[in-house]
Amino acid sequence: MFRHLRTLQQVSRRTLSSSARRQLENKVPVKQKLFQEDSGMPVHLKGGTTDALLYRATMALTVFGCGYVLYALTDAALPKKKD
Amino acid sequence: MAHQAHAYHMVDPSPWPLTGAIAALLMTSGLAIWFHFHSTVLMTLGLILLLLTMYQWWRDIIREGTFQGHHTPPVQKGLRYGMILFITSEVFFFLGFFWAFYHSSLAPTPELGGCWPPTGITPLDPFEVPLLNTAVLLASGVTVTWAHHSIMEGERKQAIQSLTLTILLGLYFTALQATEYYEAPFTIADGVYGSTFFVATGFHGLHVIIGSTFLAVCLLRQVQYHFTSEHHFGFEAAAWYWHFVDVVWLFLYVSIYWWGS
Repeated sequence: MFRHLRTLQQVSRRTLSSSARRQLENKVPVKQKLFQEDSGMPVHLKGGTTDALLYRATMALTVFGCGYVLYALTDAALPKKKD
Repeated sequence: MAHQAHAYHMVDPSPWPLTGAIAALLMTSGLAIWFHFHSTVLMTLGLILLLLTMYQWWRDIIREGTFQGHHTPPVQKGLRYGMILFITSEVFFFLGFFWAFYHSSLAPTPELGGCWPPTGITPLDPFEVPLLNTAVLLASGVTVTWAHHSIMEGERKQAIQSLTLTILLGLYFTALQATEYYEAPFTIADGVYGSTFFVATGFHGLHVIIGSTFLAVCLLRQVQYHFTSEHHFGFEAAAWYWHFVDVVWLFLYVSIYWWGS
């Protein structure tokens, strides 16, 4: 039983350390190349499709929020007739 | 391709100042709508917009500095001034609450029984959890300094360990303070004692959470090789903020917890 536990310990150490090494590779030079490309894109969109999606979602909420706040405050300011 | 003939950073046009301003509008109006009409939709929308703005704005700054090399020495100097001025403004923010505390506690009114703590208030024992909290934050000040030296000396693993420890200590403080809040024999509604206690310590707790989050972002960046031994201002800014949070606690502990009991 203890031999099995020992083997498990060794295997998990080996697996974890090798996968950990794979994950913790320095990707900064790759990012530097991507963001220094002369694409004419502003920095907030230069990362790719995800940037554009996130920007659109944020702007949609901004525009909707603007409209909603104007409606909510106007509605709050107008006197309500009680039946 | 045009190149600039100066060391300063002319930023790309960005939508985040606008979205941030709208988020502030939505949060403040939302607060008023919540108070008067019991609807939290507007305020929640504002909060979501705020989080999106902060994430994308700071993501862009990391891109501009670490990936595009825009943070030259003069630019970094400006960032340092900026962080120092921001922390100074936060010092003044807390000064107000300390002023309020001393105003009420140095000359307690007859309504309070002419004494401090006021009649009927059982203050927390300063030598129990509050003292532990003091030790936790002081220790975190040591670990964050250890992290800084590790980064400067190129000791990657030690930097990760000490920064993680700092964050864990910050989380431990927050957890301890949360239990204290739950167990306290008085509430925010208990006169001026309750108000000054919970507003001052409450805003401090919020700053601990903000500081811990800032340090956590630095940990992620350190793991991803963003920091070099010579250039790691994001971490330094987080460390300055963390020391500020620690110092505010020391003043809170001595004034409200210890003298105020």
